[in-house]
Amino acid sequence: MSSEIWVVADLKIDGSIRQVTFEALSEAKARLAAKFGGPVCGVLLGANVSSLAGELGKYGAEKVYVVENETLKDFNTEGYTIALSELIKKHQPAVVITGNTVFGQDYFPGVAARVGAGVTMDAIEVDATDDKKLQIKRFSHSSKAIPTKLFLDHYPMMTTVRPNSFKAVEDPKTPEVINEAVTIDPGDIKTKVIEIKAKESDRPELTEADRVGSGGRGLGSEENFKHVYELADILGAAVGATRAAVDAGYCPYDMQVGQTGKAVSPNLYIAIAISGSVQHFAGMGSSKVIVAINKDPEAPIFQKCDYGIVGDLFDVLPPFTARVKSLLSQS
Amino acid sequence: MKILVVVSQTQDTEAKIKVSSSGDSVDTGGMKWIMNPYDEFAVEEAIQTKEKHGGEVVIVSMGPARVVETIRQALAMGADSAIHIADDSFADIDSFAVGKVIASEIKKSGEFDIIFTGMKIIDEESGQVGVQIAEELGIPHVSLVSKVVEIDPAAKKAVCQKEIDGGHMVVEVQLPCLITCPDAMNEPRYASLPGIMKAKKKPLKEVPVADIGLEEIGLTADSLGKAGARVKTVEIKVPEIQRKLKIIKGQDEPMVKGAEVESAAEELVKLLREEAKVI
Repeated sequence: MSSEIWVVADLKIDGSIRQVTFEALSEAKARLAAKFGGPVCGVLLGANVSSLAGELGKYGAEKVYVVENETLKDFNTEGYTIALSELIKKHQPAVVITGNTVFGQDYFPGVAARVGAGVTMDAIEVDATDDKKLQIKRFSHSSKAIPTKLFLDHYPMMTTVRPNSFKAVEDPKTPEVINEAVTIDPGDIKTKVIEIKAKESDRPELTEADRVGSGGRGLGSEENFKHVYELADILGAAVGATRAAVDAGYCPYDMQVGQTGKAVSPNLYIAIAISGSVQHFAGMGSSKVIVAINKDPEAPIFQKCDYGIVGDLFDVLPPFTARVKSLLSQS
Repeated sequence: MKILVVVSQTQDTEAKIKVSSSGDSVDTGGMKWIMNPYDEFAVEEAIQTKEKHGGEVVIVSMGPARVVETIRQALAMGADSAIHIADDSFADIDSFAVGKVIASEIKKSGEFDIIFTGMKIIDEESGQVGVQIAEELGIPHVSLVSKVVEIDPAAKKAVCQKEIDGGHMVVEVQLPCLITCPDAMNEPRYASLPGIMKAKKKPLKEVPVADIGLEEIGLTADSLGKAGARVKTVEIKVPEIQRKLKIIKGQDEPMVKGAEVESAAEELVKLLREEAKVI
């Protein structure tokens, strides 16, 4: 085992690096580097990704391992699994981290099984013991419990981390770039991407957004969701929805926040006409500030939020939105 | 087609969560055990696949005797038979070993075309076992499939759509493969009364842990419990996030009305700017 701590870059559809990668680099540096006595390194898997090494350096990566391979142009499970497993076997890092994105969730457990590593998913805290064992905290039981998971005697120790859980802090380094050739036999690729399409939206992505405006069934229709979009756009927020609103057809599934759906932890979560079920809180309960607007004074959300107005959203939201708009246009 | 569904039993997380006296697990005393909700989508998808292409649906589940109730539920929904890997020592097993044990049993059960399983279990919420089973079996997987667009058993391929961060993706995968199911993909059916009656007579094979052949799959008896695991829970806490609970209400009735609306909106904006400093 080496003492290196690896952060595997998460790439967006357009090929740029996700914020969670920078957050993970910073947190690895702050919490793990001294304990393991090794450098924090970036890993880039893809096609035409070498040019991104400098960005990882900006957030403290001292080395960047790069696998350039045409097979990795779009994310595919087998390609990523082969490339990362081969790199791990060759260099034997102590810790390997990536974002708990749809892609991270897809291939990280498989890599762990292939290299015989322990793996945890969706960590909200990472730390290490004095004898170099990774220790993480995560949510379980519909986010009602937080177990601490300790890794035992198997290296590497692998985990995905929840976006928006750590602060990305610039710490510029000029990383040593190590190009690694990995042979990927086309016969090993059994999943083929036949279409990949970015959603056309100027809004930030839910899991990465600093602010989220979210609507429930009380909005009453797809048309009425415009009130949520309007507020969100003024705030530069992403837009989410409850399962009930999605089931009612007011918005697509990719907007669903909750146990089933996306987990978010923004600085500000504005819940509009959302009662606050256990399942919904499982996806947003770790938000820093929760605001509720609901006409039902008995709605559970009023027991679990920071600020709220008991009122009809159609009365309250327009003046609230107007005031936020005028405030933000001044500053 | 031979269609497998890996089903788990889980604690109903609707309940209040209490930490056990040892401090490293959740007190399950008095908790209700249910079929993992995501696995219901997996069972439904398997039955729909069978209805379309013919064949059989086999449930595979691991855990102590109580798991049989969940297996019967899947059979009542319309699955044909089941394999129960039974042992109480699985209580503290980690996902790495779960994947290996289930995969080894699947290998022994012969050829199959497709495996469905839930995207994660609602108690542990890790979502890694399905992927690890596929890896152990050496078959491809597609996780978080929002829609199975097409299955072509003759050409041995399936086309699946999945939602990804910032868009969606359509993937063609070779069979046999494993698919993990989120909740948007279908509407799980309820077990009918005749279905429940029939389920009692459907074949259920019990596989005791002694028959698994742990050494052959690279595990020791220890790795079924805490000692041989790669990751263990050392502490579990029920977080108490202190919320400010500053709720603006109307004068006469809880709801703000008339002129109160404007002042409530103003007050909320002020709190968010000056106290919470989030706008």
